[in-house]
Amino acid sequence: MLDVEHISKNFGSYRALNDVCLSVPEGSIFGLLGPNGAGKTTLIRIINRILRPDGGRMLLDGREMTDADVRCIGYLPEERGLYKKMKVGEQAVYLAQLKGLSRREAEERLHRWFAKFEIASWWNRPVEELSKGMQQKVQFIVTVLHEPKLLIFDEPFSGFDPVNATLLKNEILELRQKGATVIFSTHNMASVEELCDTIALINRSQVVLSGKVSDIRHSFGKDLYEAVVDDGQVLQLSLPDGGDPNQLLADLMLSHRIVSFREVLPSMNDIFVATVQKGGAQ
Amino acid sequence: MNKTLLVIRREYVTRVRKVSFWVMTILVPILLAVLYAIPIYLAMRPAEKSTVLVVDESGLFGGLDRDDALRSDVRFASSENISYRYCATLDYARRQMDTTSMTCAILYVRSRASGAIPTDACLYYKSDLPPMQVRSDIDRQLQSILRNRLLQAHGISDDEYALITGTKINLRTEDLETGREAFLEVKTALGFVLALLIYVVIFMFGSQVMRGVVEEKSNRIIEVIVCSVKPFQLMMGKVVGIAMVGLTQLLLWVVLTGVALVGIQASNSELFRMATEKHGVTELATKGSEATLQMADAETLGAVPQLVEGIASIDFGVILPAFLFFFVFGYLLYATLFAAAGALSDNDTDTQLFSLPLTVPLLATILCMPAMVGAPSGTLSVVLSIIPLTSPVAMMLRIPFGVPLTQLWWSVALLVLSFPLFTLLAARIYRGSILRYGLLANWRKKKK
Repeated sequence: MLDVEHISKNFGSYRALNDVCLSVPEGSIFGLLGPNGAGKTTLIRIINRILRPDGGRMLLDGREMTDADVRCIGYLPEERGLYKKMKVGEQAVYLAQLKGLSRREAEERLHRWFAKFEIASWWNRPVEELSKGMQQKVQFIVTVLHEPKLLIFDEPFSGFDPVNATLLKNEILELRQKGATVIFSTHNMASVEELCDTIALINRSQVVLSGKVSDIRHSFGKDLYEAVVDDGQVLQLSLPDGGDPNQLLADLMLSHRIVSFREVLPSMNDIFVATVQKGGAQ
Repeated sequence: MNKTLLVIRREYVTRVRKVSFWVMTILVPILLAVLYAIPIYLAMRPAEKSTVLVVDESGLFGGLDRDDALRSDVRFASSENISYRYCATLDYARRQMDTTSMTCAILYVRSRASGAIPTDACLYYKSDLPPMQVRSDIDRQLQSILRNRLLQAHGISDDEYALITGTKINLRTEDLETGREAFLEVKTALGFVLALLIYVVIFMFGSQVMRGVVEEKSNRIIEVIVCSVKPFQLMMGKVVGIAMVGLTQLLLWVVLTGVALVGIQASNSELFRMATEKHGVTELATKGSEATLQMADAETLGAVPQLVEGIASIDFGVILPAFLFFFVFGYLLYATLFAAAGALSDNDTDTQLFSLPLTVPLLATILCMPAMVGAPSGTLSVVLSIIPLTSPVAMMLRIPFGVPLTQLWWSVALLVLSFPLFTLLAARIYRGSILRYGLLANWRKKKK
């Protein structure tokens, strides 16, 4: 759906992005990962056409992106705010109108979303009276209201309690189910494992790792297996080079009654730390 | 709806809905109306009645000579609110002061050597200072009586005196071609008022633009907005929206001040009629003798039509459109620069620092105003009224005096042409800075 081709961006002598290439499959949740200052926000701003790249191009559905395509994008930035003095409903309508919705359409959709999130009573309250979490809910609604086909969430769960974080997670999954493509930038690796289909890891301005989450985890696997036997004992087993896991299981079954047997894959957190510490890229 | 229009609408509606907007809108006309009404109310307020005891040991002011008691030109004349009573000695007057409730002061003029003219008199009071009105009445009558004595002593008749003091040469400043009088005082006053007004409104609404930009930056909504709106659209929407707030407020000020003044006059029509009449009468009465009365007559009657004539000589057909033009374009020019200053800063200290260079051209013009009024067509005036950053204030100062059309067109053309240039510059700074924080801090760090 979105193809980033050889994008570079410099701020003075500082190179923020260096020949970045990645491809976001349609209808997937794509994790954009990387340590602080790696260049994620710069890349997101380029996708949103807030910044212009120094080199490279962006393709949306196979054709080069234009300013008009911004209407197809919903972006929830990490540093997000609202006008404190404006009323919630009025402000949401204004932001929706800026995205191209008519006033009537915006109001209709907003009332539906507000009912769904059980925040209808906030409509006439000034934003400054809402807690940070409440404001985040409003910002989320405003981001998805115009039903964009590409959604970009930068740390969407920060500031949410577990109940609301789950609510938001389910909404993101539902949006994908309805056909939206989601770019998801976070440092929370547990949510990456839970939500993302594919990822790209940016370190020091370059993509150092990309692909399907399951493939990446397997590629980082060290042929470790874990077996739980009938007396509750957990056994950690290492497969020798070129060994067959079936043979390993068969050998184990001779001496134990096996309750479960699974390959131990490294977590995304381990992979992230290992890759970044290895200092991949320039 | 066009996105810039949406931004304009939001800026306008949120500002016009603020309580502070209406407080300002209503307070200013009330303040102006009060400033207008207070002097008239004070003048018309029934004054407290006072009695002044006169102890005249010199005999010049009608205190010793029995014949003088019949002459009004050498004695203190009582009026409706101030009555003068002669006492023989200071001790007697002092005792009287304790017993008479309305007595507010004792006027004491010492004895003198024969033929000598007293050079001072003393006004004694007890605990409460005599009212200003009383003090000025005593002073006026002292001078008037002394003058009458001197005129008599030197055998100068009232008519002769009136001729000497009343004859004046009126220096007129006229246009050689049209033959119309310049009325420099009226024009100076008008120029000052217009120039200061432009200065105040440019800063008032320009700084609102800057505060709006800083607000969007500091509450971090800017990134959400610039995903939907181009930074240029956002900046111009803000600038135009606030300009419309400014024009609305100016219009409301004009209308409400008019309504307030008419209302005050209508509700106290009798008082205002009396005030106008009484003003004329007091002016005449203050002059004392018949001779000076004629002179006063000429002065008073001459001053009012002159003012009216002066105001009438002003070409409001040029001034009003010029004011509107220089307000709108002056504001637009500065507002875009203020927006850029706002984009560079993300806190109040930075704001003050970045807006300082913007205040310099206008402030310098304000400081040059006295010199410019001295020579409205001098080099300084011409240069300042043509440079776009100073022309809104400088030109408004000059316009009442009449500005050659070529200079006016140059000023207008340069201001109009510089607007897109400054806007492009400001938009460039704005676009590059609105998503960057701590610019000043980083710069300082680099410098170290």
